[in-house]
Amino acid sequence: MRARLGDMATYAGLALLAVFFATPFVWMTSLALRTPAEIYRGAARLIPDAPTLDNFARVLSDPAFLVYLWNGLKLSAFGGALAVALAIPAAYAFSRLDFRHKQATLVAILAVQMVSPLVILVPLYRWMERLGLLNWDLSVIALYGALGMPLAVWLLKVAFDAIPREIEEAAIVDGAARWQVLTRITLPLARPGLASAFVLAMVTNWSQFLIPFILLERDADWPISVAIFNFAGSVSASTTQLLAAACLIAVVPAVAVFAALQRMIVSALIAGAIKG
Amino acid sequence: MTARGPAPADGRPWPWLVPAVLVLAAFYAVPVADVLRLAFSDATLVRPPERWTTAALSALLADPALPAVLRTTILFTAVNVIALQVFGLLIALTLVRGEARGLRGMTAFRTLVLAAWVVPGIANGLIWQMLFDEAPYGTLNSLLGLAGFGPVAWLSDPEMALVSAVIANLWQGTAFSMIVFYAARKGIDPVLYEVAALDGASPWRTFRSVTLPLLRTAVAVNTVLVTVQTLNTFDSILALTGGGPGRATEVLALFTFNTVFYNLDLAGGSVLALMLFVVAMAMAVLVHGWLGRAR
Repeated sequence: MRARLGDMATYAGLALLAVFFATPFVWMTSLALRTPAEIYRGAARLIPDAPTLDNFARVLSDPAFLVYLWNGLKLSAFGGALAVALAIPAAYAFSRLDFRHKQATLVAILAVQMVSPLVILVPLYRWMERLGLLNWDLSVIALYGALGMPLAVWLLKVAFDAIPREIEEAAIVDGAARWQVLTRITLPLARPGLASAFVLAMVTNWSQFLIPFILLERDADWPISVAIFNFAGSVSASTTQLLAAACLIAVVPAVAVFAALQRMIVSALIAGAIKG
Repeated sequence: MTARGPAPADGRPWPWLVPAVLVLAAFYAVPVADVLRLAFSDATLVRPPERWTTAALSALLADPALPAVLRTTILFTAVNVIALQVFGLLIALTLVRGEARGLRGMTAFRTLVLAAWVVPGIANGLIWQMLFDEAPYGTLNSLLGLAGFGPVAWLSDPEMALVSAVIANLWQGTAFSMIVFYAARKGIDPVLYEVAALDGASPWRTFRSVTLPLLRTAVAVNTVLVTVQTLNTFDSILALTGGGPGRATEVLALFTFNTVFYNLDLAGGSVLALMLFVVAMAMAVLVHGWLGRAR
């Protein structure tokens, strides 16, 4: 009986919280499906009388918007891949080799994660301007790689730790060099960990605003996060439905990827959190 | 036959650490050193530093905006850090309980909270700006209107605007604390809960005497991580209120951004960036201490 009451309390609590967490998504969808006239009806009509996909069509028919989406995808995917690639050797050393100050170095790498991109962007912007590296997507990708690397090191170390050393030792006894062991045995076995680290870095990059906003001055180079900020600055209240549609288009890819892979990513994060 | 190749766990770490160390040096260490140099120079974004001076520091300390910004920052961060963790802990423990009881919908709920987490900060600000729309047909105000309450000046009232910014940040940020506490709670030996149940301990007593003490390290570490995250947050506020009305929601990170990239005051912005950096590093040292003790 008590347990039953507890279950009801659990559901009641979660339902209340679910309303809070779902409202923005539900409301954006409602606004994005409205005609301009229905925007003025406010909360009286959650489900519009005449739902329309016109807003999505109008936003997506702008070729620039497709370019923004593509830029966002390109920058975040390459940036995430770079972060993981940079992290692999270090994570392997932290997992497999014994050396002095290992723990301190590992904590230092994690501490770096706490530095705001804003702090390092101030000097980096000046150097890049002087070297002519502004307005170049590779600059943004390099920065994404650097910003994503610390967390990737941590996650990959935990993933490598989960692979038994005996498997590698057999290969080492057979005369394989360590880098061969890494590429042929450890990395294939660590695929879920690699994928989690990559997806997390990529989703973080997709959300990045500051770096592309500062480093990319040309409209055609912008990723979606910068583009919607600019778009919002140009709309009046009568185009709320368009802004809602644009926001959804920016949000849905990240949410969809994350929701689809959440079991894998959450377990990687949990493993990292327990070790940490 | 002698074993060829390297022995396990042996080998020099440095070749492996070179890429990471180079990246950390080029993208963190050298820039931070440069920030330090710029902070004590007369540089602007369009003019290189010419001489050493503490003019930027004293100009900043004399700036009447700074106390207001710091007050806003401390208030915003403190309220968020407490609320994020209370919500995160509540959700994590409820999820663990629901899963233990085999209740349906737990994964769906977790997915929902995580979905808010991956919303880009700019989109977060824009979405909540639409929800907080103060026109009679604005989302929250028209809902309140249906319930018979008057409109709330969500974004135009200075005090309310800060509350609104906290709400938007809670929506997005809770997932992180949820994951940390969920992981920590899963790491507690279930035997302890069986013993508590055998002793007839009430749920509250179990929480006070078993869960909370064993989550202490997680709470300590999470406090630091969430503080730094909140301190560094500015894109959602930029999109939500732009720091306004007036400076009511202008936190330190946003103030830094505006100082450098709108006022082009590189030296002043560097002083502010240095403040952000020092706070973050002080927090990191705290984490190190806690982790070291926990081990």
